[in-house]
Amino acid sequence: MATDRDLVPASERLWRWFCMVAGGLVYLFLLLPVLVIFLSAFSPTAYPQFPPKMLSLRWFQAFFESRDWLKALQVSAWLLLIVTPLTALLGTTAAYALARLTFRGRAVVQALLLSPLIIPQVVLGIALLYVLTGVGLAGSLTGLAIGHILVALPYAVRTVSVSLASIDRKLETASMSLGASPAYTFTHVTLPLIKPGIVAGAVFAAVTSFGEVSVSLFLTAPGTVTMPVRIFTYIDQTFDPVVNAVSAIFIVLAVVALVLIERTIGLTKAM
Amino acid sequence: MSRVSSPGASLFSWFLLAPGMLFLAAFLVVPAILLVVLSLHDVDGMLMVLPGYSIAQYLAVFTSSVYAHALGTTLWVAALTATLCVLLAYPAAWLLVNTRSRSWRTVLYVILISPLLTSVVIRTFAWIVLLAQNGLINDVLRHLGLIDAPLALLWNMKAVVVAYVQVMLPFAVLPLATSLGEIPAALPRASQSLGADARHTFLHVVLPLSIPGMMTGAIIVFALAAGSYVTPLLIGGRLQPLLPIAIYQQALQIANLPLAAALSLSLLAVTATIAGLMTYVQKRWERRVYGH
Amino acid sequence: MIAIESVAHRFGTLLALDGVDLHIAEGEFFSLLGPSGCGKTTLLNIIAGFLAPSAGRVVLGGRDITSLPPHQRDIGMVFQNYALFPHLNVFDNVAYGLRVRKTKGAEVRQRVAEMLELVQLAELAQRMPHQLSGGQQQRVAIARALAIRPQVLLLDEPLSNLDAKLRKQMQTELRRLLGNVGVTTVMVTHDQEEALGLSDRIGILGAGRLQQVGTPLELYRRPRNRFVGEFVGHGNLIDSRAGEAGVFLANRHFAAPGVPLQLASAYTGTADALFLLRPERIRLSPLTAVATPFAAASNSVTGSVRDASYIGAGLHLTMVLAGGGELLVEAPEASFVTVPQAGTALHLAWDAEDLIRLPVVSGEERS
Repeated sequence: MATDRDLVPASERLWRWFCMVAGGLVYLFLLLPVLVIFLSAFSPTAYPQFPPKMLSLRWFQAFFESRDWLKALQVSAWLLLIVTPLTALLGTTAAYALARLTFRGRAVVQALLLSPLIIPQVVLGIALLYVLTGVGLAGSLTGLAIGHILVALPYAVRTVSVSLASIDRKLETASMSLGASPAYTFTHVTLPLIKPGIVAGAVFAAVTSFGEVSVSLFLTAPGTVTMPVRIFTYIDQTFDPVVNAVSAIFIVLAVVALVLIERTIGLTKAM
Repeated sequence: MSRVSSPGASLFSWFLLAPGMLFLAAFLVVPAILLVVLSLHDVDGMLMVLPGYSIAQYLAVFTSSVYAHALGTTLWVAALTATLCVLLAYPAAWLLVNTRSRSWRTVLYVILISPLLTSVVIRTFAWIVLLAQNGLINDVLRHLGLIDAPLALLWNMKAVVVAYVQVMLPFAVLPLATSLGEIPAALPRASQSLGADARHTFLHVVLPLSIPGMMTGAIIVFALAAGSYVTPLLIGGRLQPLLPIAIYQQALQIANLPLAAALSLSLLAVTATIAGLMTYVQKRWERRVYGH
Repeated sequence: MIAIESVAHRFGTLLALDGVDLHIAEGEFFSLLGPSGCGKTTLLNIIAGFLAPSAGRVVLGGRDITSLPPHQRDIGMVFQNYALFPHLNVFDNVAYGLRVRKTKGAEVRQRVAEMLELVQLAELAQRMPHQLSGGQQQRVAIARALAIRPQVLLLDEPLSNLDAKLRKQMQTELRRLLGNVGVTTVMVTHDQEEALGLSDRIGILGAGRLQQVGTPLELYRRPRNRFVGEFVGHGNLIDSRAGEAGVFLANRHFAAPGVPLQLASAYTGTADALFLLRPERIRLSPLTAVATPFAAASNSVTGSVRDASYIGAGLHLTMVLAGGGELLVEAPEASFVTVPQAGTALHLAWDAEDLIRLPVVSGEERS
């Protein structure tokens, strides 16, 4: 019900204004790194100038001319192509099964599926490092893929679960009562209906994999350096302004991903 | 939740559950168990793992002052970060909930969520650009004539906490905003009708009812901060007494895996206990107020 | 006690209230009654202070409160969904307003106990709101609002969330309770039975205007216009046409000259008029029992039963008249032996005083 003019005493109005400003400042604080990165990415000098005097694309150019960076991009891209569909697949099947079955340990299984979100990534990293070393996969692309899938899986499970919760189960029972097998029902009735959740999960998986670094640092080798790992080593060891340009690209990709997620299942439900 | 009616459908669902379960078993459960086993071994002078079980690693973790200090600092930093995030989350969540314009609200959501979709190195790197000796802040301060020599803003714990807060703030704002949004509009009105001004209403009605969201945010931030190593490594430097950094160093640089394992599991245990306690308190409050 | 002076309110281009003037006496139970969208909730919110009126003043106990915020108005309010604070138990809910006023502990305890006694919930003082039933929450909300001894109690559709039986119980409760306390009360409701049963006076709101203010009896027996006549109780609207021989019943469904109407002497004038006839005022009798021939008798007509519903306490009939017009009739249980079947011809009659004249608004369609 709309309140046209609320009766607010002057002291309270001041307090409200103050809260609004405080809130705004917090958002500016959150925005600060983004602004800094864009400033630096387009700055002609190695260090950002404020206020900016000129715009330049030299760091973007340097990125595309650098063999190291392009190699890292290639590795990240490959991983993306492998991890995204696999995560979407595992996440969808697991979320569906979890939503349709009832058994004693269901809550435990659900917690397990979501646990990589809560377990410190340093612990995940070291556990995987140990196991993968044992089977000779440490430092390989496969090992990295496994790590990425593990970290991204909870997101896919969550988004698909949200989608599943919003569809009418009677559609499935109706399909099966007409003689369709559960598998047929799943592929022809359920899947089309939960497409938004699957797409959102895939977007999360892609974004997570592309930006994953905390677990990846344990699983990379000189031949399998991903973009974020490359950024890490560069920051750690040298100073390369190309990192700014790379970061700017990452941020743009993040906003695009955000729009995609909002269009599919909506941001508020996804988080 | 209703049971699937036919056994065929049930079987199919189990079949679908299998790949996910197998994956987790192979790459989460088994590694976890193996990690525990690894942590119970000792190493020799060449860092070769010795056969036979031993709690030498755990003794090293809990009796050495270095690691005990690191654990303490890690928990303290995590708690501080969680507290600061919760404090800053209130005005941010309030603004989000009270913005009437749909487009402005979307802008705020984008500002909140898009950082979460970039990489943590990038968010950390931005702080380096800001805080470095010839970084943005020093640049601006020098231009304004406020300082002569650049300030050493990096390589200390304060910078780490500031970066932590900025990186993890969205995790505190989102659940809090949800909680605030769920408070029925009639409640603040009822409070006002009984003679309470805005301040009293906030302290006695809004704040208590926002506790679930606040706690959720605090728990998430605490857990994230306790396990973080990339950010403190890049901003605070190698010498910061934080347990995740020690784990990273032991595992990848010193290659003492059993010790790294023991450190990890200790960190996990302590963090899980504290997070569990906080969750317990939250659930009890929710049960008292809402009955479930 | 409360004076509402020329209050008007606009939401953007929508005029929700259009110049409302009202005086409510001290200790009076006053209801604002009307269909949804009539502006009654808006008016209540203006009295409460959640809305500042676009024009006009609100005066409470001689004090102009129009620009005061709600927490400075000395009102007590009961909300539609009770709005109990879920994190406080019953005692703390009721004590809330007292504690805001920094009342001392002992006095708080005494006053809360008194209030809980009044609403008969003393033994539930330590319960949390989610453990209470709807009716119990309602009573806590009332106790909470009364605990601060407000100058006026505002009720926003207080009983609309309760089921029918509970609603009746609570109505009796409310009457007893508020009669005891004697606080000036303003209630907003769309349920006319509720308003009629509880109020000393009722204000009927329609399209943002006060259509009529009066006691329940006045509103029912002497509605001032068509809106009030149709909203309060059921009614049959009868057009009439003035002819040389007097006033005749006319209806847009009638074809030929209608039935002569004998009006109560209070109504003079020969112009066309609109009358309201309450269904329970029409007497039914079988055709054979009538002595005088029909054509000459006034205030009577023959009709056949289109529909008859037996509701235990009586009979609700829809009678079709020659020419197609319909009259609703409500006959008490004792007046008939069997439920008449559809098509049965019956004689309908009424007294001259039962024809309530309503002003014809120019532009209203006439046949």
